[in-house]
Amino acid sequence: MANSFHLEIITPTRVFDEGQVTYLRAPSTNGLFGVLPGHVDAMIALDVGEIKIERSGMVKYMATSGGYAEIRADHVQLLVETAEAAEAIDVQRAQAALERAKQHLADKTSELEAEQQDLDAMERALNRMRIAERSKS
Amino acid sequence: MANLKHIRTRIASIKNIQQVTKAMKMVAAAKLRRSQSNMEQARPYARRINGVLKNLLPNIDRSLHPLLAVRGFKKTGFVIFTSDKGQCGSFNTNVIKFAEKAIHEVGKENAELICIGKKGRDYFTKRDYEVVESHTEFWNELNFGHAVEFTASITRRYLVGEYDQIVVIFNEFKNVASQRLVKFNYLPLVVEEDEEVDTTEYLFEPSKEAVVHSLVPRHLTVQMWRFLLESWAANMAAQMTAMDNATTNAGELIGRLELEYNKARQAAITNEILEIVSGAEALMESSK
Repeated sequence: MANSFHLEIITPTRVFDEGQVTYLRAPSTNGLFGVLPGHVDAMIALDVGEIKIERSGMVKYMATSGGYAEIRADHVQLLVETAEAAEAIDVQRAQAALERAKQHLADKTSELEAEQQDLDAMERALNRMRIAERSKS
Repeated sequence: MANLKHIRTRIASIKNIQQVTKAMKMVAAAKLRRSQSNMEQARPYARRINGVLKNLLPNIDRSLHPLLAVRGFKKTGFVIFTSDKGQCGSFNTNVIKFAEKAIHEVGKENAELICIGKKGRDYFTKRDYEVVESHTEFWNELNFGHAVEFTASITRRYLVGEYDQIVVIFNEFKNVASQRLVKFNYLPLVVEEDEEVDTTEYLFEPSKEAVVHSLVPRHLTVQMWRFLLESWAANMAAQMTAMDNATTNAGELIGRLELEYNKARQAAITNEILEIVSGAEALMESSK
């Protein structure tokens, strides 16, 4: 059995070909899950969160805002709306998005649906800021 | 001579115009290239999502998902893509005429319009169409966020039952010289059935239905992204062609005016010589 699998991260604006990796951890809608080579064929819905990629002792973190993972024994494709490597995250922009969402929520005049959108935006911003921290440590 | 000066200034001003149109053509070409590369980048994602939906939809009860359920068609929402600015030949006129025809098929009173781009908004508001939403002045900063925003607001209108179907009308980019007008049934979602069905038995997490539910909105967003990119690329291509024609026309006009200028100059010189000669002749006559 091969000890690595091919990983591609596909977003509407870019395709990241990660090449051969040994381990992948991604956020499903039911919590984090890990993928090792030889995984059973699966299709898993992804939530906002952190993607962790391991290959030959190197670890890489990425922020995502959800999508789904298509898993085969030797090939994994993540179809996600956004994917940003920890070191590429613009923390200031995330901070600004967070402030904006907080402001919106504080206004209280908005409807329930808009409120949910603000909460989602806050979650995404916090997620990006948390993962950006990874690149510093 | 006043006439000469007049022609000279006209030539100079047309040369200026020609420079402007030339520059605009270059700018359009650069933007077109960027948007084409965006289209390339978006393709794998769109293709995968489409593929997965194709495989899953036949196995799913459509009535469970409000975006998939087919209801009777009473009210139609039209999403019409135009540009903000002119200078692109018949690009906007074509879309608008095409959209008008489609609207009259369902009847003006059964149609509400969502206009993407200023030209369409201006045209349809002036003619008393029901324009419920418009998005303008974003084309130059077009990014995926716009697709997310528009999709969210359009699907919300659909979900609360304002419309029973949503039709999108835009210019598709075929190549630099030609665009194709497209009328696309956006909602309820239809995916063309495909012969080759992926037979892999997947494990679905958390469930098949949940995966489809999370895919449908993403599919709609990426479709919207495609409409935006196609329309923008087509717009830039049309602008490029229009500006290229303008530059050529200006060149022709300059050529004609230069000929006229030279003729006038010749005539003026001939006139002057004539005057000198006849003046000299008269002097000789009188000195005899």
